[in-house]
Amino acid sequence: MGTTKTEAPGRSLADELRGRSDDDLAALLRVRPDLVNPVPVDVAQLAARAMTRASILRVIDRLDRFSLHVVDAIAILPEPVTQAAIGDLLGVPESAVGEAIGELRTAAIVWGGDDDLRMVRAAHEIVGPYPVGLGPPLRQALTALPPTRLAQLAAGLGLDHAGDPVTDTHVIADAITNRIDHIFDELGEESIEALRKLAVGPPTGRVDDAQREVDIHTARTPIDALLARGLLVPVDAGTVVLPREVGLHMRGDLLRAGISSEPPEPPGKRQDATTVDRTAGAGAFEAVRRVEELLDAWSADPPPMLRAGGLGVRDLRRLAQAFDTDETTAGLLADLAHAAGLVAPSSDFDQLWLPTPKSDVWRRLEPADRWTTIATTWLSTTRVAALIGSRDDRDRPVSALGRDLGRPLAPEVRRLVLEVLARLAPGTAPDVDAVRDAVRWARPRRGGRLRDELVAWTMREAEVLGFTGHNALASYSRALLDGRVEDATAALAAVLPEPLDHILIQADLTAVAPGPLRPDIARELAVLADVESRGGATVHRFTAASVRRALDAGMTAADVHAFLAQLSRTHVPQPLTYLVDDVARQHGRLRVGGAASFVRCDDEAVLAQIMADPLAGALGLRRLAPTVLGSDLDPSTLLERLRRMGQHPTAEAADGSIAVAGAVTRRAPDRRHTETQVNRPVPSDALLAAAVRAIRAGDRTSASRPADAAPARLGRSASTQTIADLRRAVDGGSTVWIGYVDHDGGSTERVVDPVNLDGGWLAAFDHRAGAVRSFAVHRISGVAPIDSHGGTT
Amino acid sequence: MTDGPLIVQSDKTLLLEVDHDQAEPCRRAIAPFAELERSPEHVHTYRLTPLGLWNAGAAGHDAEQVVDTLLTYSRYPVPHALLVDIAETMARYGRLRLESDPVHGLVLHTTDRAVLEEVLRSKRVRPLVGMRIDDDSVAVHPSQRGTLKQALVKLGWPAEDLAGYVDGEAHPIELVEDGWSLRQYQQEAAEGFWHGGSGVVVLPCGAGKTLVGTAAMAQAKATTLILVTNTVAARQWRDELLRRTSLTDDEIGEYSGAKKEIRPVTVATYQVMTTRRKGVYTHLELLDARDWGLIIYDEVHLLPAPIFRMTADLQARRRLGLTATLIREDGREDDVFTLIGPKRYDAPWREIENQGWIAPADCVEVRVTLDDAARLAYAVAEPDDRYRLCSTSDTKTRVVERLVEKHAGEPTLVIGQYIDQLDDLAERLHAPVVKGQTTVRERQRLYEAFRSGELPVLVVSKVANFSIDLPEASVAIQVSGTFGSRQEEAQRLGRILRPKADGRTARFYTVVARDTVDQEFAQHRQRFLAEQGYAYRIIDAEDVLAGTDPA
Repeated sequence: MGTTKTEAPGRSLADELRGRSDDDLAALLRVRPDLVNPVPVDVAQLAARAMTRASILRVIDRLDRFSLHVVDAIAILPEPVTQAAIGDLLGVPESAVGEAIGELRTAAIVWGGDDDLRMVRAAHEIVGPYPVGLGPPLRQALTALPPTRLAQLAAGLGLDHAGDPVTDTHVIADAITNRIDHIFDELGEESIEALRKLAVGPPTGRVDDAQREVDIHTARTPIDALLARGLLVPVDAGTVVLPREVGLHMRGDLLRAGISSEPPEPPGKRQDATTVDRTAGAGAFEAVRRVEELLDAWSADPPPMLRAGGLGVRDLRRLAQAFDTDETTAGLLADLAHAAGLVAPSSDFDQLWLPTPKSDVWRRLEPADRWTTIATTWLSTTRVAALIGSRDDRDRPVSALGRDLGRPLAPEVRRLVLEVLARLAPGTAPDVDAVRDAVRWARPRRGGRLRDELVAWTMREAEVLGFTGHNALASYSRALLDGRVEDATAALAAVLPEPLDHILIQADLTAVAPGPLRPDIARELAVLADVESRGGATVHRFTAASVRRALDAGMTAADVHAFLAQLSRTHVPQPLTYLVDDVARQHGRLRVGGAASFVRCDDEAVLAQIMADPLAGALGLRRLAPTVLGSDLDPSTLLERLRRMGQHPTAEAADGSIAVAGAVTRRAPDRRHTETQVNRPVPSDALLAAAVRAIRAGDRTSASRPADAAPARLGRSASTQTIADLRRAVDGGSTVWIGYVDHDGGSTERVVDPVNLDGGWLAAFDHRAGAVRSFAVHRISGVAPIDSHGGTT
Repeated sequence: MTDGPLIVQSDKTLLLEVDHDQAEPCRRAIAPFAELERSPEHVHTYRLTPLGLWNAGAAGHDAEQVVDTLLTYSRYPVPHALLVDIAETMARYGRLRLESDPVHGLVLHTTDRAVLEEVLRSKRVRPLVGMRIDDDSVAVHPSQRGTLKQALVKLGWPAEDLAGYVDGEAHPIELVEDGWSLRQYQQEAAEGFWHGGSGVVVLPCGAGKTLVGTAAMAQAKATTLILVTNTVAARQWRDELLRRTSLTDDEIGEYSGAKKEIRPVTVATYQVMTTRRKGVYTHLELLDARDWGLIIYDEVHLLPAPIFRMTADLQARRRLGLTATLIREDGREDDVFTLIGPKRYDAPWREIENQGWIAPADCVEVRVTLDDAARLAYAVAEPDDRYRLCSTSDTKTRVVERLVEKHAGEPTLVIGQYIDQLDDLAERLHAPVVKGQTTVRERQRLYEAFRSGELPVLVVSKVANFSIDLPEASVAIQVSGTFGSRQEEAQRLGRILRPKADGRTARFYTVVARDTVDQEFAQHRQRFLAEQGYAYRIIDAEDVLAGTDPA
């Protein structure tokens, strides 16, 4: 008789999985992407992997509070577990339980019929010995008692004392369970009060001399009375435990009062949805504008990267000042620009933070598209900008753009928060505490304090980035959450103010653009005037320096006048016209040019002769003064060419030459921003379908193998499966076939009784050698169970 | 809401488009809490500051009103963070109150215990308070009332001063409105002040700030101490009081370098108050010489720091500050707020000009090109001498001559910084000079002659910057100034803004040397004018000299 099979009557998880449709199998892999990496060989391996504690923990940590209660209930209820029983224990309708069970089934945490639900062992282990603060069942608790105490209990309950401890514990446990109301009637108030304390959990309490000999008649104290009736059971000399049945009775036969299958709906202030969209839109526009400002600022004056990575505190403060905001907001935007690949450290020796070529592409996008880039980055990044300025484990300050900002939990909580907001009616702004409760409900086992902090940070950041307006989710953010990026972009574009093509110029030499300017105009105006204040409008100031900059950029005074006249909705003030002319008058009086070499000769005629030479055309010569020529050729080449032309020049010392480096805009190479992959991306449907096909194929191969072809099978079984089979054999004390590769590479088959599996070695009784031998697990090519009669199953 | 006149910027400035049809109601709505920073022709700039918001709080506006105003008039959605910030800032005002307790005297009382704990823990506050009375109150010595308020503002928890004022020694003062009457805005300003208890009235030069002070005195009907910038101003206050009120010569005293009279109404100069002998302010006793019911500070923006310190001890007395601008070149606006009081009334220049109370002005900058010799001298001069060199060039003198000639018959002031230059100009223009050395009697004689039209041209140094009253000056020519002082510019412009009998437009010429620091300073000053809504033109000196100037 196969021992493993007697312990698990009915179908195993592997059988259940094998019986699933392809879609259901794909659904499992979708909710547990860790199972697809690598693709399992067959269903048996899939099931084995799905039952490992680490994998189960990933699922359980992401369950909401109600599903966790369902898991607890399954752990607590005696087998067979039915949906109806779970519903009763939780105090919710069976249909609600059915939904949660459905999801647990999909995730392969639970299998079996609605009237015989089974849960994977690892889930039981994760729930722990005292689920929801309830103690062990009576039958289990009572086994710890010596026979004399059992006899006393039996006598107290008026039961016959069989003498066999196992039978006694069962009888006593059943009696206590059945007569519990009656037993409680005999108790005093103090005893019940003591029970009430333990019923809340944890179920153990400290008591002096817990193993005292008491019966109903000798009981003096309230604790005596409880011990005498088996309502408290001693665990050791100083500890008692409240048995599960008693605890449940104290809780009114409910796992916990007030369990709800629905997430809490945060109450919120209703606002006009249009106002919310417009406000959020303004926030989105502002965020994009600030990132542009950052790119401008860092392009002109890049801040250095700290040796430990990141941005210095002073540079962050400067950025905040430029943004007219606080350092938290500045840090968030800088970090997002980094995460989105818009800025990166330069590759020089002294590393600087510089905009990337990608940022140049980004800047040419429409504002709404620019926002989506930033917004999606924020949704997916594990970096938490709100940590900037806090202290790390070693009490060093955490810097912006630094390496210590990653928190795997962040994207998950961000999405949860936004989903909580998205469930509310449009325009509803809940308060942070209510959102925090809803997120706690959705992920009670994840994150703790960090999760709660992330909720508050997310709400704040969502407002800064324009996901929300007045704390209510904007309609375009909903589209983005659903993955409809194009809809989101279009909806955002609709709420952004229309770009303007005019400005108002005033006598104090300022120009106000009462709204966002068309990008081409904005770029040109930014050259001609300094920006003084930003926001809904932009205030520009004309100064001599700014006008000179425009002239340097190739505009003429006439261009400037024409540009302003065309742009200004009002009359261009006389002082501005005067300013432009005044600057233009002086512009270009003092000049600097670039030449790689020069030719000097006191005799003007010689230079004239050179210029007249037909070969001179290739020398790039120009006359700088009657006695000086300039050339773009380097001095040695020029020297060489002039000699070829029949001249006899000599080289002049380098101190006279002018070398001017062209103004090159500096860029760091595009660099992929790497982040630790903590939450595996959900695999695509195509990938899942392929994985399912592969698993099925593996299964068909196993199934088509003849039952007596054990050795063949031994050769291909996967190692996880090998270990699982061996462990089962150790636990069950059964006999198995193993395929074993010896030192010479020869494959042998042994019949062994596994004894112990540890550190990569299997200790087993080898039937052929007639002794216990050690086998290296990595050399075991396969395992097949054998029934006691010697045949493989 | 998509088409409001107001745009809220991220640096907390508010842009008001003045040509918008809702601009006027919007201006009125935001004036109580936003400071007008610039008022050029198309878009006015206001700024939200904590002080401004607390001012509004002191005047009884709450955050909800402020937020509502912004939302009503804003063209674009207002950032949520800004609204939250406004609410938080305003909520800080009034958590602490200075109250007068029947048992304990002056106490600092709080409605928020945590705030009191926070401020009491501050090193700056601890020595200023006395015994803790209960969890929510702490005793304050009356002499520390001002210093404490100052310290609390620095900590960001301004106290609402509800401790009231002493009435002071009563003295009958009536306005005598024979042939004149208070203008509406003067009336409003005086009332605004009186209801607020203490505070500052901001009115442009020439708008009759003295009358607002006089009206406040008539309302207080108590002994009054008036602090003014200099002796000439003191005499003018005296003349004005005699003309406008029931006060007689015997009731008005002058406390200055020359005279030390203490009468029911005493006019003292800042200078005498800040005179020290061996490190001690020798005239401090004036402040306690009488039980003053009202203290008036003329030209608050010039109030010297020692007077601030003295004012800290006078918090139980009503205080009225008068000024044309709250801008202080030293940035001590918050001291004005705490020690004298919040802004109680202001009106932009242009508005009063539109009402016809001040003359319209035409500002012209004349650019003079230095000759080659002067340019070379300028180029090689020490940086310290450069301004003097370029601003006193001979070319300027010729331009001034030509301008005076052009405006012959109109009362003309020539204003400058450097005495040599002024002496030279006076000689060429055959006009007298008023400068620091000129005796007060001589000054008054010259002013009188100028007023009567006997003297068509007067050359003045910077002594005339403040508080002189030259009613019929209609042309001012500025040849040099104190570097880029915006305040000086305002004062000088003020000289010619009094309404002219014939409704003539006043002319304000600034003669500057092209391509020099003079031009830079001029730009700085003119920016101030332009921000006040006075557009200016720039012309070339060559045009003036050739007589082809279109003006």
